[in-house]
Amino acid sequence: MSDLYLLWRNLFRRKLRTFLMMLAIFVAFVIYGVLGSINYAFEHGVDSVADNRLVVTNKITFIQPMPFAYVNKIAAVKGVKNVTYASWFGGYYQDPRNQIGTYAVDPESYMRVYRDDLRIDPEAHDTFIHDRTTMLVGEAVAKKYGWKAGDRIPLNSNIFTNKADGSHTWELTVAGIAYAAKEASNTNFILFQHENFNESKTFGKDTVGWITLETDSATVNDKVAAAIDDLFANSTAETNTQSEKAFGKAFLAQLGNIALIITLVVGAAFATILMIVGNTMVMAVRERTKEIAVLKTLGFPSWRIWRQVLGESVLLALLGGVPGLAVAALLVTLLAKGVSGAIPGLALTLPVTALGVGFMVLLGLITGFVPAWTALRLNIVTALGRL
Amino acid sequence: MRVFNEIAVVTVICIKSIPQRFWASLSTVVAVGLVVTVLLAFLAMAAGFQQTLRGTGAKDMAILMRAGAQAELNSGVSRDQARLIEEAPGVLKGPDGKPLVSPELYVIVDAVKKSALPDDGNMKKAPKSNVTLRGLGPAGIAVRPGLKIVEGRRFTPGTNELMVGRALQKDFVGMNLGDTVKLGNASWVVVGVFELDGSVFESELWADTPVVQDLFHRQNVFQSIRARLTSPDALLALKDYAANDPQLKLDVTTEADYYAQQASRTSDLIQKLGWPLAIAMAFGALAGALNTMYSSVAARAQEIATLRCIGFSGTSSFLGTLAESLVLSLAGGILGALVTWAAFDGLTASTLSGTTFSQIVFTFRLTPAVALQGVILALIVGFVGGFFPAWRAARIPIVEAYGTP
Repeated sequence: MSDLYLLWRNLFRRKLRTFLMMLAIFVAFVIYGVLGSINYAFEHGVDSVADNRLVVTNKITFIQPMPFAYVNKIAAVKGVKNVTYASWFGGYYQDPRNQIGTYAVDPESYMRVYRDDLRIDPEAHDTFIHDRTTMLVGEAVAKKYGWKAGDRIPLNSNIFTNKADGSHTWELTVAGIAYAAKEASNTNFILFQHENFNESKTFGKDTVGWITLETDSATVNDKVAAAIDDLFANSTAETNTQSEKAFGKAFLAQLGNIALIITLVVGAAFATILMIVGNTMVMAVRERTKEIAVLKTLGFPSWRIWRQVLGESVLLALLGGVPGLAVAALLVTLLAKGVSGAIPGLALTLPVTALGVGFMVLLGLITGFVPAWTALRLNIVTALGRL
Repeated sequence: MRVFNEIAVVTVICIKSIPQRFWASLSTVVAVGLVVTVLLAFLAMAAGFQQTLRGTGAKDMAILMRAGAQAELNSGVSRDQARLIEEAPGVLKGPDGKPLVSPELYVIVDAVKKSALPDDGNMKKAPKSNVTLRGLGPAGIAVRPGLKIVEGRRFTPGTNELMVGRALQKDFVGMNLGDTVKLGNASWVVVGVFELDGSVFESELWADTPVVQDLFHRQNVFQSIRARLTSPDALLALKDYAANDPQLKLDVTTEADYYAQQASRTSDLIQKLGWPLAIAMAFGALAGALNTMYSSVAARAQEIATLRCIGFSGTSSFLGTLAESLVLSLAGGILGALVTWAAFDGLTASTLSGTTFSQIVFTFRLTPAVALQGVILALIVGFVGGFFPAWRAARIPIVEAYGTP
């Protein structure tokens, strides 16, 4: 009779009780898997951003525009490689609630800077550069509304007025679809020509929302950023230059301390199962006091019994936790589809999974520790006397 | 009457036996308590956020923005439009006979949250948050009768003086009376701190319109017009007036409706996160409760059999066991509510509002109605967790119960 067989039979001696424990552990790991993935996506979504990319915004706040002339001045700063710029359009489709991140960009330079993040078919690329009335639609948006190349779409702005007819609508033709080249890239956007935007809006002419640039290498980032901000010091529009990573992180931080909330919830879920499972394990081993005494009488060494009790609790944690993570993986996949790219890179990643398995083993060891210790120290005479 | 006596006796026996299974019972109480704490923390967050926005804006205050703008940030109205509104019907006049109309500028500026300040106190490195800077017209204060200046004074028109909302002052760095605040390349001095019924306005900075227009290069452009109405019913007259004038392509709503709509979006989202989490966790706690109650029934098997022998009904065993489970979960529910109250009630937090695109400071509020939802969830767990074990208790075959040692 192998140890494993004994362990298995002991675990399923009371099927209902074991099933209930597994259910509790399962639920906790589903919660861990889903929330852990969301947290991971938030923390590492910006990590995939190229290190040598800087964002220049107005110092007052990033939604205050800057003069268009800044683009060329920044391009002339030493250490700056590629420069591009964009403006926020406040776009929506049909209903103001259908907001789409819509940016007016300079096609050529924008696609040069974001060459590694976006995959665009060469034909669409050409159309977008040469036809002023076209737009490039991110995969998530195209899927949501069923748009394809050649479709003419009336896009509304909740900020700007179209000079042509005094409406808030711009008719744009889909040049093609932009796909994510990296898993963590967000494709919930629309890009259209800045030149078209600049000439057709009624106010705010010759301004840009923000300027993105590449430095020669990440090591000169701080120097370049300081040089740019010095250039515009004491002007009517001072600038704030920071890495795109820092910019993204600061923006997420504005939503609130997501990591703390997630840690608290997952902590509560784990504390719950720790209480329930720990207690039940103590109960289960106490029921077996006499059997353990018999095993010891038969010559089973204490450490072997100790190992069996711990093995039982670790096995229980794995039997509940592994299906929990599997279901979490499924839920995360569904969620990633549901939020259509709002949380880029949302998936049950390897680090989250590995940490989860680590937590299972830890849970098993902690909950099994007291009963295993009791079994180890069990005195045969008193145990058999305890009738 | 005998039935009731029986039930009472068995219930007392069950509840008095709880200490015999102290650790198992405690684990149920704590597990249920944790579930309730998680639920209530989310609900208290939603309630606090909602209360802040619901408390903003009176029913007799109209807010006018460019048609389709949805939010002040996206809107733009001209000085001429503001003048036309001053002559509109339904607008209340102040004691000096001037209409209570305030064209307001709405811009977003950067500030640093106290919680975001790095350990070395270097403000330059701290991540910045969006904050609303509102430029007020001459009637800006008169249109808001609830305003209380709690420290300092009002700003003097034409100067770089700021008034700071109470909530903003508490949550952000360097916003105290006398502090110098740098916005863009202009320095401002905080001369007053105000309260306004715990509303969103307390998360804002206020200054004189012409000075703000100058700094942000927005001469003669405003984001919204606030107009105090003679009564809430006067909104219709104002709407008609705006609809009939081609120069006034404006959306007219009451301020109360404008903020209530924003409130429902975010607090819905928070509740949509909190409930599924709590329900999932409740299943975990339910497994614990079932386990505890089954072992309670198993431990009392002979006792229950004895009662049945001397003529007690199965119903009394059923109800007694159910009562034990409900008592444990109720204790858990109350524990959870108390923990939430101690740890979260009154806690200040702030988040980026999707509509205003700036920080709204709010306070967690554990209202009795919210706490009740937590206790109800606990009782549901207790009921389900007690029902099946109680069912077993009521049907224990007497001979078999004595057969097991």
